[in-house]
Amino acid sequence: MTQSTAAQPTPPTTPLQLSATAYGWLGQFRAMASPCEILLGPCDELMARQLCAAAAAEAWRIEAKFSRYRQSSTLSQLNQHTGQWQKLDSETLSLLQFSKQCFELSDGMFDISSGILRKVWKFDGSDNLPSDDAVAALLPFIGFDRVELTADSAFIPAGMELDLGGIAKEYAVDKVGQLLLELSASVEPSLSLVVNFGGDMLAVRPKPNDDPWRIGIEHPGKPDQSAMLVALCAGALATSGDARRFLYKDGVRYSHILNPKTGWPVQDAPRSVTVSAPSCVMAGLLATTALLQGQQAKEFLQAQELKHWVID
Amino acid sequence: MQLKKLNITAALAAASCALIAGQSHAETAKKDALIEGWEFNSAFLYYKETDRVQAAEAILAARGDFGDDKFLNLNLVVDTLTGASATGAVAQPNAQSFTRPSGEGSYTTAAGETPLDDTFHDTRVQLDASWEQPIAQNLRATGGGHFSKEYDYLSLGVNGSLAWDLNNKNTTLSVGTALSQDTITPEGGIPSAFTPMLFKNNFGSESAYEQAFDQSRADDSDSKTTTELLFGATQVISKDWLMQFNYSWSQADGYMSDPFKVVSVVNAQGITQQNLYEQRPEERNKQSVYWQNKVHMAGTYLDLSYRYMWDDWSVKSHTVDTRWRFPVSNNWYIEPHVRFYQQSAADFYKPFLMQGQALPEFASADYRIGEMDAQTYGVKVGTVLDGGHDLGVRLEYYQQNPTNPGVELPGALANVELFPSVKAIMLQVSYSF
Repeated sequence: MTQSTAAQPTPPTTPLQLSATAYGWLGQFRAMASPCEILLGPCDELMARQLCAAAAAEAWRIEAKFSRYRQSSTLSQLNQHTGQWQKLDSETLSLLQFSKQCFELSDGMFDISSGILRKVWKFDGSDNLPSDDAVAALLPFIGFDRVELTADSAFIPAGMELDLGGIAKEYAVDKVGQLLLELSASVEPSLSLVVNFGGDMLAVRPKPNDDPWRIGIEHPGKPDQSAMLVALCAGALATSGDARRFLYKDGVRYSHILNPKTGWPVQDAPRSVTVSAPSCVMAGLLATTALLQGQQAKEFLQAQELKHWVID
Repeated sequence: MQLKKLNITAALAAASCALIAGQSHAETAKKDALIEGWEFNSAFLYYKETDRVQAAEAILAARGDFGDDKFLNLNLVVDTLTGASATGAVAQPNAQSFTRPSGEGSYTTAAGETPLDDTFHDTRVQLDASWEQPIAQNLRATGGGHFSKEYDYLSLGVNGSLAWDLNNKNTTLSVGTALSQDTITPEGGIPSAFTPMLFKNNFGSESAYEQAFDQSRADDSDSKTTTELLFGATQVISKDWLMQFNYSWSQADGYMSDPFKVVSVVNAQGITQQNLYEQRPEERNKQSVYWQNKVHMAGTYLDLSYRYMWDDWSVKSHTVDTRWRFPVSNNWYIEPHVRFYQQSAADFYKPFLMQGQALPEFASADYRIGEMDAQTYGVKVGTVLDGGHDLGVRLEYYQQNPTNPGVELPGALANVELFPSVKAIMLQVSYSF
């Protein structure tokens, strides 16, 4: 999903559950306000438990580091010390550099500094729209091109705020996938593996004989039933949409997809976009950027020449 | 909002790849460790030359991770060598007698056979230790020491190097230096240059022989010092191709003769008149260039290298070495190894000296500094066991072919084998834990 929900993230003490499935193993835990699943092919139980524990630890690590809800997170620390140069560790730097590339590639539409608009936009299903003035007052503090990056530091202008909610979960999926790949490489080099964090997922290794993983995608209007069953052999899937977060006034539905340039919701955006790509961050980025195109979402997706699903 | 450039997939794929692959999880993917933070590599090697030397060697290497990219490397080698080694004397149409290097006892070589001294028996212990750590951003330093001891030989050394990463770690430049001091204390002492091998039978009494033998010995021991400089560049050409280029320079000063080697002096009929202890220069300046490629292609790993070495003794050598690893099935791989070596002779290499001609300043009949070529053919089979431990077995065949550097062979020497090939097999078992 594109934007973080307002729910508090589950602390890392949430237990990890491992259960046997018809095919292999299912590890479940919660991270980043999402149910997280690790699907494994047949292997011994100890191995499955170790892999799932490593996956959960990595997800919780990333959550603790990049959550804007935690005062102690690296991200919160960055936001608390704006207006000065700050040293970054290599992982944070990589994420900011990646965000910058996405900002440039999307012509400024994908912007991790746009989260500040939450101060005036509350997507609670009500009809409480903010005033034009309130939105306009925030625009000077949006624009990731104003953030300066060097080989080891960042300068975030005072008053700005970064939010990695748009990529942290997809990033966690890819990192966990990579970790599981490495951990299993020497012991079970052909173990089938899927990482699924609340619908953002990566088939790390396919099932034998290219038998696809079948994944359900939630319908925006009917969150409790799977609207689509997607067959995934390898690669990633990510979904962006306004399933449950919107405002409704005078017959107009205001999606929670905000245009960082105007501060107002994007008009006529699809309800949900799912993209298949080699990595989850890439799929997520494309899904979000597609939504930000509004009416041109489908045209944009077709130009990417990647498999995608759109729910209007 | 319409994007100026609609298809951003390719650019995004590259950016995503850099993001995810940028910080590898190698540190969490380590194998089960015996001691936390330490990796061990062990190997046992058996080497056997037909009719000559055989050696057994055990190696234990340990690398300790002290965090913050600081590492301690320890390397222990123990080997034993037994068997026979060519003395440098020429084969003859008749049997020959030789005095052992110690001066005590003698041995006989059959007609037509290459004279070999079969008294070699030695055990060597070698210990290397080094510490490496970053000293500034993109700059790593390594400092170490070296100790090696065998019955009649002691080697001590220190070394240091700096490696500088640049161009996003796609390029590494390095500079290193090593100093070592070697001392040899051969049984029977160091023979003086070109003193003849003495025979007890030619003396009237034991004491007369001992007196003459002692007089032919210059010292109990001698030493040499070696200074080495190494410059290297490693370049990532692509994600599947790594290239390395090294230049090394070394200067050795001191005793570099072999106290056990002789040169035969023959008459016009090719018959040995006497055997003189060899003499080599006391200085040697050596340089080499080395070019290595590690290439990943179609699932296989190719390691191809070439070395050219030259020195002021006129020895020039070319080495081409190829190892090609092919993964077979899940955890197994097979790795053929081929090595070609070719060397020209030192300018003072003389398979023998002619009677009646003035003695040269330096002379040695040691085939190892003569003209030769050599080939190695081998194969290694390896597997990754549970817990990430590597187990490998390598079997190799090695052949050295000394050749005549263009010397005319007088009389009897034309009918004996003066440049016999040396053939060897090598078996190595290695295990990492």
